[in-house]
Amino acid sequence: MDDDRVFKALADPTRRHLLDRLFERDGRTLGELESELEMTRFGVMKHLRLLEDAGLVVTRRQGRQKLHYLNPVPIRLVHDRWIDKYTEHRISALAELKTQLEETA
Amino acid sequence: MTTITAQATEVYQVFIKATPDAIWDGITRPEFTSKYFHGATVETTPEERRSYRGSELRSVVDVLEYDPPRRLVHRWISYYDPELAAEEPSRVSWEIEPQDSGYSLLTVTHDQLEGAPKTAANVSGTGWMMVLSGLKTLLETGEPLED
Repeated sequence: MDDDRVFKALADPTRRHLLDRLFERDGRTLGELESELEMTRFGVMKHLRLLEDAGLVVTRRQGRQKLHYLNPVPIRLVHDRWIDKYTEHRISALAELKTQLEETA
Repeated sequence: MTTITAQATEVYQVFIKATPDAIWDGITRPEFTSKYFHGATVETTPEERRSYRGSELRSVVDVLEYDPPRRLVHRWISYYDPELAAEEPSRVSWEIEPQDSGYSLLTVTHDQLEGAPKTAANVSGTGWMMVLSGLKTLLETGEPLED
Protein backbone atom coordinates (compact mmCIF):
# COMPACT_ATOMS: atom_id res chain seq x y z
CA MET A 1 0.00 0.00 0.00
CA ASP A 2 2.99 2.28 0.49
CA ASP A 3 4.81 1.72 -2.79
CA ASP A 4 3.96 5.24 -4.04
CA ARG A 5 5.36 6.84 -0.92
CA VAL A 6 8.51 4.74 -1.08
CA PHE A 7 9.18 5.64 -4.72
CA LYS A 8 8.46 9.33 -4.06
CA ALA A 9 10.70 9.31 -1.03
CA LEU A 10 13.52 7.74 -3.03
CA ALA A 11 13.08 10.12 -5.97
CA ASP A 12 15.10 12.87 -4.34
CA PRO A 13 18.89 13.12 -3.97
CA THR A 14 18.78 14.77 -0.53
CA ARG A 15 16.58 12.02 0.85
CA ARG A 16 18.77 9.33 -0.67
CA HIS A 17 21.75 11.07 0.91
CA LEU A 18 20.02 11.01 4.30
CA LEU A 19 19.36 7.27 3.91
CA ASP A 20 23.02 6.71 3.02
CA ARG A 21 24.07 8.59 6.14
CA LEU A 22 21.83 6.41 8.28
CA PHE A 23 23.08 3.31 6.50
CA GLU A 24 26.63 4.24 7.54
CA ARG A 25 25.56 4.80 11.11
CA ASP A 26 22.10 4.42 12.52
CA GLY A 27 20.34 6.30 15.31
CA ARG A 28 21.35 9.88 14.46
CA THR A 29 19.81 13.12 15.66
CA LEU A 30 18.46 15.84 13.37
CA GLY A 31 21.46 17.97 14.35
CA GLU A 32 23.91 15.34 13.15
CA LEU A 33 22.03 14.75 9.93
CA GLU A 34 21.75 18.41 8.99
CA SER A 35 25.39 19.22 9.79
CA GLU A 36 26.66 17.95 6.42
CA LEU A 37 23.86 19.35 4.31
CA GLU A 38 23.70 22.87 2.96
CA MET A 39 20.08 23.20 3.86
CA THR A 40 18.01 24.78 6.60
CA ARG A 41 16.99 22.74 9.62
CA PHE A 42 13.41 23.08 8.45
CA GLY A 43 14.30 21.70 5.02
CA VAL A 44 16.01 18.65 6.49
CA MET A 45 13.05 18.08 8.83
CA LYS A 46 10.71 18.13 5.84
CA HIS A 47 12.76 15.49 4.04
CA LEU A 48 12.97 13.35 7.17
CA ARG A 49 9.21 13.59 7.56
CA LEU A 50 8.69 12.28 4.01
CA LEU A 51 11.10 9.42 4.70
CA GLU A 52 9.22 8.68 7.92
CA ASP A 53 5.86 8.71 6.12
CA ALA A 54 7.24 6.20 3.63
CA GLY A 55 8.38 4.00 6.51
CA LEU A 56 12.03 4.31 5.49
CA VAL A 57 12.98 6.10 8.69
CA VAL A 58 11.72 5.24 12.15
CA THR A 59 12.24 7.61 15.07
CA ARG A 60 12.72 6.85 18.73
CA ARG A 61 12.91 9.24 21.66
CA GLN A 62 15.86 8.88 23.95
CA GLY A 63 15.68 11.39 26.77
CA ARG A 64 15.43 14.77 25.07
CA GLN A 65 16.78 13.50 21.78
CA LYS A 66 14.89 12.15 18.81
CA LEU A 67 16.95 9.49 17.07
CA HIS A 68 16.46 8.45 13.44
CA TYR A 69 16.81 4.84 12.34
CA LEU A 70 16.98 3.45 8.84
CA ASN A 71 14.22 0.92 8.16
CA PRO A 72 15.17 -0.97 4.97
CA VAL A 73 12.11 -3.25 4.95
CA PRO A 74 10.01 -1.13 2.52
CA ILE A 75 12.92 -1.10 0.03
CA ARG A 76 13.05 -4.87 0.22
CA LEU A 77 9.31 -5.09 -0.41
CA VAL A 78 9.53 -2.76 -3.42
CA HIS A 79 12.46 -4.82 -4.66
CA ASP A 80 10.49 -8.06 -4.35
CA ARG A 81 7.44 -6.57 -6.04
CA TRP A 82 8.98 -4.42 -8.79
CA ILE A 83 12.53 -5.48 -9.50
CA ASP A 84 12.77 -9.23 -9.06
CA LYS A 85 9.78 -9.71 -11.31
CA TYR A 86 11.22 -7.80 -14.26
CA THR A 87 14.83 -8.83 -14.00
CA GLU A 88 13.73 -12.45 -13.91
CA HIS A 89 11.76 -11.90 -17.09
CA ARG A 90 14.67 -10.18 -18.80
CA ILE A 91 17.02 -12.98 -17.91
CA SER A 92 14.68 -15.60 -19.31
CA ALA A 93 14.16 -13.48 -22.47
CA LEU A 94 17.93 -13.33 -22.97
CA ALA A 95 18.21 -17.04 -22.40
CA GLU A 96 15.56 -17.60 -25.05
CA LEU A 97 17.34 -15.29 -27.50
CA LYS A 98 20.58 -17.18 -26.95
CA THR A 99 18.84 -20.49 -27.67
CA GLN A 100 17.24 -19.13 -30.84
CA LEU A 101 20.47 -17.59 -32.16
CA GLU A 102 22.41 -20.74 -31.47
CA GLU A 103 19.79 -22.88 -33.14
CA THR A 104 19.88 -20.84 -36.35
CA ALA A 105 23.67 -20.51 -36.35
CA MET B 1 28.64 9.41 24.23
CA THR B 2 25.07 9.15 23.01
CA THR B 3 26.20 7.93 19.58
CA ILE B 4 27.60 4.74 21.09
CA THR B 5 24.28 4.00 22.78
CA ALA B 6 22.43 4.82 19.58
CA GLN B 7 24.45 2.38 17.50
CA ALA B 8 23.56 -0.35 19.94
CA THR B 9 19.94 -0.11 18.81
CA GLU B 10 18.30 -1.10 15.53
CA VAL B 11 14.65 -0.50 14.66
CA TYR B 12 12.63 -2.18 11.90
CA GLN B 13 9.00 -1.69 10.95
CA VAL B 14 6.56 -3.25 8.57
CA PHE B 15 2.83 -2.88 7.91
CA ILE B 16 1.13 -6.26 7.56
CA LYS B 17 -2.43 -6.84 6.42
CA ALA B 18 -3.28 -9.17 9.28
CA THR B 19 -4.74 -9.02 12.78
CA PRO B 20 -2.45 -8.71 15.80
CA ASP B 21 -3.45 -12.28 16.73
CA ALA B 22 -2.34 -13.63 13.35
CA ILE B 23 0.97 -11.77 13.61
CA TRP B 24 1.50 -13.03 17.14
CA ASP B 25 1.02 -16.61 15.91
CA GLY B 26 3.39 -15.92 13.01
CA ILE B 27 6.09 -14.86 15.46
CA THR B 28 5.61 -17.44 18.20
CA ARG B 29 4.48 -20.66 16.52
CA PRO B 30 7.06 -23.04 15.07
CA GLU B 31 5.04 -24.04 12.00
CA PHE B 32 5.11 -20.39 10.85
CA THR B 33 8.65 -19.42 11.81
CA SER B 34 10.12 -22.34 9.89
CA LYS B 35 8.86 -20.68 6.68
CA TYR B 36 10.65 -17.33 7.04
CA PHE B 37 13.23 -17.28 9.87
CA HIS B 38 16.38 -18.13 7.88
CA GLY B 39 15.53 -21.81 8.02
CA ALA B 40 15.17 -21.94 11.80
CA THR B 41 12.11 -23.31 13.54
CA VAL B 42 11.42 -21.07 16.51
CA GLU B 43 9.05 -21.84 19.33
CA THR B 44 8.19 -19.21 21.91
CA THR B 45 6.57 -19.89 25.28
CA PRO B 46 6.01 -17.36 28.10
CA GLU B 47 9.35 -18.49 29.54
CA GLU B 48 11.63 -19.45 26.67
CA ARG B 49 12.39 -18.98 23.00
CA ARG B 50 13.79 -22.16 21.47
CA SER B 51 15.40 -22.36 18.01
CA TYR B 52 15.69 -25.62 16.12
CA ARG B 53 17.40 -26.69 12.88
CA GLY B 54 15.20 -29.53 11.79
CA SER B 55 14.63 -31.43 15.02
CA GLU B 56 17.93 -30.36 16.59
CA LEU B 57 17.58 -27.84 19.42
CA ARG B 58 20.22 -25.17 18.78
CA SER B 59 19.47 -22.33 21.19
CA VAL B 60 17.31 -21.45 24.18
CA VAL B 61 17.00 -17.85 25.39
CA ASP B 62 14.86 -16.22 28.08
CA VAL B 63 11.58 -14.54 27.28
CA LEU B 64 11.45 -11.27 29.25
CA GLU B 65 7.93 -10.08 28.40
CA TYR B 66 5.08 -12.12 26.94
CA ASP B 67 1.91 -10.12 26.37
CA PRO B 68 -0.13 -11.62 23.49
CA PRO B 69 -0.94 -10.26 20.97
CA ARG B 70 0.87 -6.98 21.54
CA ARG B 71 4.34 -7.32 22.95
CA LEU B 72 7.08 -9.95 23.09
CA VAL B 73 10.57 -9.31 24.45
CA HIS B 74 13.34 -11.87 24.53
CA ARG B 75 17.11 -12.24 24.76
CA TRP B 76 19.09 -12.65 21.58
CA ILE B 77 22.17 -14.77 20.97
CA SER B 78 23.33 -15.39 17.38
CA TYR B 79 23.90 -19.09 18.09
CA TYR B 80 24.38 -19.91 14.36
CA ASP B 81 27.91 -18.46 14.31
CA PRO B 82 30.41 -19.28 17.10
CA GLU B 83 32.09 -15.87 16.88
CA LEU B 84 28.78 -14.05 17.26
CA ALA B 85 27.53 -16.47 19.89
CA ALA B 86 30.52 -15.62 22.08
CA GLU B 87 29.39 -11.98 22.34
CA GLU B 88 27.18 -10.59 25.11
CA PRO B 89 23.46 -11.41 24.81
CA SER B 90 21.31 -8.59 23.39
CA ARG B 91 17.55 -8.01 23.42
CA VAL B 92 14.76 -8.15 20.81
CA SER B 93 11.33 -6.55 21.28
CA TRP B 94 8.35 -7.21 18.98
CA GLU B 95 5.50 -4.72 19.22
CA ILE B 96 2.23 -5.15 17.34
CA GLU B 97 -0.16 -2.22 16.95
CA PRO B 98 -3.49 -2.48 15.11
CA GLN B 99 -4.00 0.11 12.33
CA ASP B 100 -6.85 1.10 9.99
CA SER B 101 -8.32 -1.14 7.30
CA GLY B 102 -7.11 -4.47 8.57
CA TYR B 103 -3.43 -3.60 8.86
CA SER B 104 -1.16 -3.94 11.85
CA LEU B 105 2.19 -2.26 12.39
CA LEU B 106 4.95 -4.57 13.54
CA THR B 107 8.01 -2.94 15.09
CA VAL B 108 11.12 -4.95 15.91
CA THR B 109 13.69 -3.25 18.11
CA HIS B 110 17.01 -5.03 18.54
CA ASP B 111 18.90 -3.28 21.32
CA GLN B 112 21.36 -3.77 24.17
CA LEU B 113 23.87 -4.51 21.41
CA GLU B 114 26.70 -2.64 23.20
CA GLY B 115 28.52 -5.88 23.96
CA ALA B 116 27.76 -7.48 20.61
CA PRO B 117 29.10 -5.31 17.75
CA LYS B 118 29.55 -8.25 15.35
CA THR B 119 26.05 -9.46 16.02
CA ALA B 120 24.79 -5.90 15.39
CA ALA B 121 26.51 -5.78 12.00
CA ASN B 122 25.31 -9.27 11.12
CA VAL B 123 21.60 -8.79 11.85
CA SER B 124 21.48 -5.31 10.30
CA GLY B 125 22.52 -6.48 6.84
CA THR B 126 19.71 -8.47 5.34
CA GLY B 127 18.98 -10.30 8.61
CA TRP B 128 15.91 -8.63 10.07
CA MET B 129 14.87 -7.24 6.70
CA MET B 130 14.44 -10.75 5.26
CA VAL B 131 12.66 -11.99 8.39
CA LEU B 132 10.13 -9.16 8.32
CA SER B 133 9.50 -9.21 4.58
CA GLY B 134 9.18 -13.00 4.76
CA LEU B 135 6.72 -12.84 7.64
CA LYS B 136 4.65 -10.22 5.78
CA THR B 137 4.53 -12.31 2.61
CA LEU B 138 3.64 -15.45 4.54
CA LEU B 139 0.80 -13.80 6.48
CA GLU B 140 -0.61 -11.91 3.49
CA THR B 141 -0.37 -14.63 0.87
CA GLY B 142 0.02 -17.86 2.84
CA GLU B 143 3.16 -18.57 0.82
CA PRO B 144 6.78 -18.34 1.94
CA LEU B 145 9.07 -15.93 0.03
CA GLU B 146 10.80 -17.43 -2.97
CA ASP B 147 14.58 -17.47 -2.90
